[in-house]
Amino acid sequence: MSAQQLQQLEDEITGDDDHSSDSAVAGRSPLRIAWDRLRKDKVAMVSLVVVVFFVFVGVFAPVIASVVGVNLDTPSTCKVLECNATSSNYGLPLAGPPVHGFDPDHPFGIAPKTGEDNLAHWLYGARNSLMIAFLAATFSTLMGIALGLIAGYAGGLVDRAINFVTDLFLSLPFLLAALCLSPILTDHFLTDPQGLAKAQFWGLVIILSVFGWMYLARLIRGEVLSLREREYVEAARQIGQPPWKILVRELLPNLVAPIVVAFSLGLPAYVTAEAGLSYLGIGLTGQPSWGQTINNATNYYKQYPLYLWEPVLGIAILVIALNLLGDAIRDALDPKTRR
Amino acid sequence: MRLRKPLAVAAAGALALSLAACGSNGGSGDGNGDDGAKYQEGLSGADKDPTAKGPAQPIPNAVKGGTVTVLLPSPDTGPATLDPTAGWSVTGNSIQQDLVNRSLTTFKQDPETGNMILVPDLATDLGTPNKDFTEWKFTLKDGIKYDNGKPVTAEDIKFGIMRSFDGNNGTEGGGVAGAGTEYSAKYFLDGDKYNGPYDKSTKGQDYEGVTVEGNDITIKMSQPFPDMDYWGSFMAMGPIPQGNVSNPPGYGNKPWATGPYKVESFQPEKELTLVRNDQWDPATDPARHNYPDKWVFKFDQDAQTTDALMLSNNEASKTTLTTSVLAENYSDAKSKVGDRLVQGSTMCTAFTTFDMDKITDLKVRQAIAYAYPYEDAWAAAGEVVGVTRTMGDAILPPGTAGRESYGPINGEKPSHDPEKAKELLKEAGIEPGTYKLTWVYTANDPQAAAGKNQVARAYKEAGFVPNPLPYDGSLYDVWTAPKDGKDTAARLNRATNLDGVAWCSDWPSALTFIPALLRSGATYNTSGFSEKSIDDKMSEITTMPLEEQPKAWAELDKEIETKYYPMMNTGYINNLMIYGEKIGGFMNDPAMGAPNYRDIYVMK
Repeated sequence: MSAQQLQQLEDEITGDDDHSSDSAVAGRSPLRIAWDRLRKDKVAMVSLVVVVFFVFVGVFAPVIASVVGVNLDTPSTCKVLECNATSSNYGLPLAGPPVHGFDPDHPFGIAPKTGEDNLAHWLYGARNSLMIAFLAATFSTLMGIALGLIAGYAGGLVDRAINFVTDLFLSLPFLLAALCLSPILTDHFLTDPQGLAKAQFWGLVIILSVFGWMYLARLIRGEVLSLREREYVEAARQIGQPPWKILVRELLPNLVAPIVVAFSLGLPAYVTAEAGLSYLGIGLTGQPSWGQTINNATNYYKQYPLYLWEPVLGIAILVIALNLLGDAIRDALDPKTRR
Repeated sequence: MRLRKPLAVAAAGALALSLAACGSNGGSGDGNGDDGAKYQEGLSGADKDPTAKGPAQPIPNAVKGGTVTVLLPSPDTGPATLDPTAGWSVTGNSIQQDLVNRSLTTFKQDPETGNMILVPDLATDLGTPNKDFTEWKFTLKDGIKYDNGKPVTAEDIKFGIMRSFDGNNGTEGGGVAGAGTEYSAKYFLDGDKYNGPYDKSTKGQDYEGVTVEGNDITIKMSQPFPDMDYWGSFMAMGPIPQGNVSNPPGYGNKPWATGPYKVESFQPEKELTLVRNDQWDPATDPARHNYPDKWVFKFDQDAQTTDALMLSNNEASKTTLTTSVLAENYSDAKSKVGDRLVQGSTMCTAFTTFDMDKITDLKVRQAIAYAYPYEDAWAAAGEVVGVTRTMGDAILPPGTAGRESYGPINGEKPSHDPEKAKELLKEAGIEPGTYKLTWVYTANDPQAAAGKNQVARAYKEAGFVPNPLPYDGSLYDVWTAPKDGKDTAARLNRATNLDGVAWCSDWPSALTFIPALLRSGATYNTSGFSEKSIDDKMSEITTMPLEEQPKAWAELDKEIETKYYPMMNTGYINNLMIYGEKIGGFMNDPAMGAPNYRDIYVMK
């Protein structure tokens, strides 16, 4: 390490990176240090803005849709699409792209075959996508934390049992399991379309969570194995702290960094997985989903490229932003990396 | 009686079908002449020519040589077996009957009019019935050989007929169940007792319904069967070599050919290659030609890729033809390939059927017919409005002998008219927003869902309460499920009051259509329609003189729909095909609903 790098590190530890401060050395938590590093990362900040934008879109999708004046209703196909087979635009919208100019009633155009509004589907698609990704990331992180902590701290038979389960789930082919589980989960709601929509949503969350906790659990277990021999853990044990308190009060705070990293890198993976499963027809079907829209749009890539590009760009930008942000958070939390 | 792509053969095809039947009702007011290509009502085989002799009239300018590639886009997975007895699908039968397997009779196409004409094939004429159609006599032509040079005997044809009684669908010792389960078993002598040479119950027994004397074959019936000459055009009514060589399932990989081509290789659901059969004697065959050297059929092709290839007009596509075109590419295809985009009629009709136990009021049934959004549903479900679907009225599809167009609802033809639907509901004494309509649609298929959404929206508009339920599988499972069953399909069938069926006739006679869909207790009578007087009339018609039958069927068609309306016509189904620039002699075979492979050649 060069002298310059050492100086930089020192600056960060003291929080004195711009050399302008003349105040006394202030105590700073590791998270605060990480946040300061993150703030200076331009890529991270741009990604954050993009992510916040999508979260805003997702949270306020119904409001935005009603402000713009679009909705998810199904219109009469032949009133909005060309149903005259002698026309050279058979099946394409009567107004708006791709044949006609911009249509203020439907800023993103309307979908062929269904005649439904693309913008409304895009907004609600973002909402569903983010909700599923967020829930799945939360559940899988919680599962990973719990099992990792228990396995690492308890050791012995419990550790071996949890390890076995972890290995078992790692060895199951995810796609195959998803293909098998989704009809089982939805079979009970055959005669109840409302229930079916909910079942699909939660089924997807469950499938993604159940197959997403293993890496974090292993990571946490490894950390706990090394941490549990530390003096402060030993001290806590000696003064009679119950195990759950040691886990939550003493060990967990030291594991925040890997957890935040796992969560932030999990999000984009789940967004992609949701789109992928919906594309395959085993995710969301009766409700807006980017994956479904892409599936419907692939046959129109030539006649109506905009229809395909909207969800593709949505997914691509959101996933890239989430990934870059996750990377930046990892770098910021890791005192050893410097970019 | 043939499902659009029969259940027995292609479950995936049935799915496409159900999509059609459920997602789109057929008929948008006839005569809107400007809604695309005009529908051509071709005669699909009502004509007969018992004196036709081989060789078949040469096609003008046709030359020998070349390879023709036929692409069959998914969900058409092609036949699962090539066993002639088991053949009961549009794809399998069209290929094999046109090119590989000959039978007692066959169809030839009039090159001028496109009409299909029933002509003798292996038999010397179209058969001689006795007075009440309970005994038919055919005479085998001399000098017919299999592709290995062995002679075809009348005993072989008898063996083929015996096999057609087999009802084992690929279970226990193979099994070759096919169209014979509907016709041989129903009309031939002892059809209810004899189960073919493979079934345990009748293994090793002789079948007494067919007697052979020299080249003469006499078939006895258990009830009048005036359509035996048509049934003779199925390859199941052709020769099968006796003994172990023809045991199922092995024989289905490479059946002995009697037609102009033989099987070179066959991979189910993938590819079938045919090469010339030098043992075929054109002088004995009034219908078939053998212009190309080789045929390659590719099943279950990606639809978008197929369309892209055909529209690219590259070298490979010039000797290729495809049996379907995506609605997405219709406009493109029209401008790029012009006349080589062919709309062909198929003798198939899609129906939504009413559960007669639940929707008991005729006025409600008629109201549903007015509530149905025919064109919207077609367009959403991926049909080309007015091209692959055309508005229907009669149960019988155009091309059926005797068929007449009529208005089934108080003399009017159904169309999408919510106001009329509301009026009829009011007359029936039903408050808007109280009558629930429940039906199933194919789950996990965006097009089926889009069609379903259109139908649901329109029902709601007309004052009904739509309640569509998804089903992951062939909708026929639900439509034909026994009401007292315990499985998912039966549960759903109990919940629904609208069912469906899409039907193609096996030959252009109403006998293959109306009884199968409307006789009490028939498997595909999905409405559960049961009227003794109608059943009696069906039986009565088969005993009438041959020339009076078509008109009688057409009248029965009208009577059923006008008086009871157990099923609404959701459109006649048409094919959309493209053939390459160097393909000559391409015509749609309206009796089969597939390209007429017999007359195709490759231009130099």
